[in-house]
Amino acid sequence: MKTAAAVAVAVLGALLGVWAGTRVHSNRQPAAGAAAQRVPVGAASPPTASDFTNDFSELPHAVVKIPEHMPDFTLSDRAGKPTPITTWAGKSLVLNFWATWCAPCRREIPLLKALSSEWAPHGVEVVGVAVDHREQVTAYANELKIAYPILVGEEDALDVAAKFGVDSPVFPFTVFTDRRGQVVTLYVGELHRAEANLIFLAVQNVNDNRLGLAEAQRTIVNGLRALRADASGSG
Amino acid sequence: MKDRRLVLLIAVAAVACSLAGWAEAKPWWMRGTDASESDFLPPDQAFRVTSRIDGDLLRVRWAIADGYYLYREKMAIQAESPDLVVSTASFPNGTTKTDPYLGTQQIFTQQVEATAAFSRSDYGAHPIQIKVTYQGCAEAGLCYPPITKVIFPTTGGPDTAGAAASAGVQAASPPAPEDSALPHRGATVAIVGGGLAFFLAGLLLRKGRHLASPV
Repeated sequence: MKTAAAVAVAVLGALLGVWAGTRVHSNRQPAAGAAAQRVPVGAASPPTASDFTNDFSELPHAVVKIPEHMPDFTLSDRAGKPTPITTWAGKSLVLNFWATWCAPCRREIPLLKALSSEWAPHGVEVVGVAVDHREQVTAYANELKIAYPILVGEEDALDVAAKFGVDSPVFPFTVFTDRRGQVVTLYVGELHRAEANLIFLAVQNVNDNRLGLAEAQRTIVNGLRALRADASGSG
Repeated sequence: MKDRRLVLLIAVAAVACSLAGWAEAKPWWMRGTDASESDFLPPDQAFRVTSRIDGDLLRVRWAIADGYYLYREKMAIQAESPDLVVSTASFPNGTTKTDPYLGTQQIFTQQVEATAAFSRSDYGAHPIQIKVTYQGCAEAGLCYPPITKVIFPTTGGPDTAGAAASAGVQAASPPAPEDSALPHRGATVAIVGGGLAFFLAGLLLRKGRHLASPV
């Protein structure tokens, strides 16, 4: 009797395994034909239904593996001087990865300039990491009169981006650390004032030991979700 | 006794397989805090490039996910294989996008097909390889660095019926990136493991049967 019961459990387990596996598989496969009605823009030849047998909405999104602590790295500054990130040890950092060819990166620079001067008295330092050619970065930084420090690199800066878990490079992204070097959050995409203020508040709460790291991270996730809901509700 | 151990083994294997599948299937908020699914697509999912040979033309097509776009001036098609000459690619008109911080640009959304005439001086000794370059962004406020891919355009195609650049496109996928199979590893383990557990269960049940030998 016991043997029969165990066999039944094993079979049920096996069925569950197969079900889970096939479910994952079916989730990851784009649904056929679902997007056949897309309106083409700029198509050289008229598209047919067979052009669109993949529904992009079913595709897996990129996964970012955020490190717990600020990784150690050294990049050159605007003048070409190698600068380790430990230059700012003991400070909360807002590490903004950007490039001159990236429109949303350019758009958020005025905000970062403002945050830099507003947050400096609170021990928070804004540092740019430009993944770009040095001449273009310096020209643009001079044009916009960016006063906060900027580190510059090409392949080496991409390697640094990968250290933050952004393996499929995408810009801009901004890393916020507490003054102990713990990564509080990594924000992908263009930063806006409301989001920046929300994250800053959580980081300061961690710095002042009013919030634990996990609690601060939850606050940020929930806060960003609420902001997004507000934005989609009003827009 | 042996039977019991075997049954236990099957049960453990089955549960392990179930967990393997479940670990992959669980939603993002149940995954570890060190890995969070973001709101953006990996570049190869946001922009899918395929190409094929159509007579003396190369046709390169980009399928672009909703909410994403490619910059016209960052797109190019070049020869990669020896003795291949590719003329400047011809693109259709895109849409005009004006950004106060980047100026006015031509962009493509949804899909775009470029054509480029080509000639070869090696009489087909080498397979045709081309290098495509493109760069794009998401409307949500993020951009990908320029992407360069070397791809083999597929030959032949269903052009005889006048269905220019239609059904052949789907078959013209470039070689899949090496890591594209990785997300399915847990699923495959679960399926194979589940099947193995069934097989072992079958063996066990069969073992208990005593067939009467013919007299």
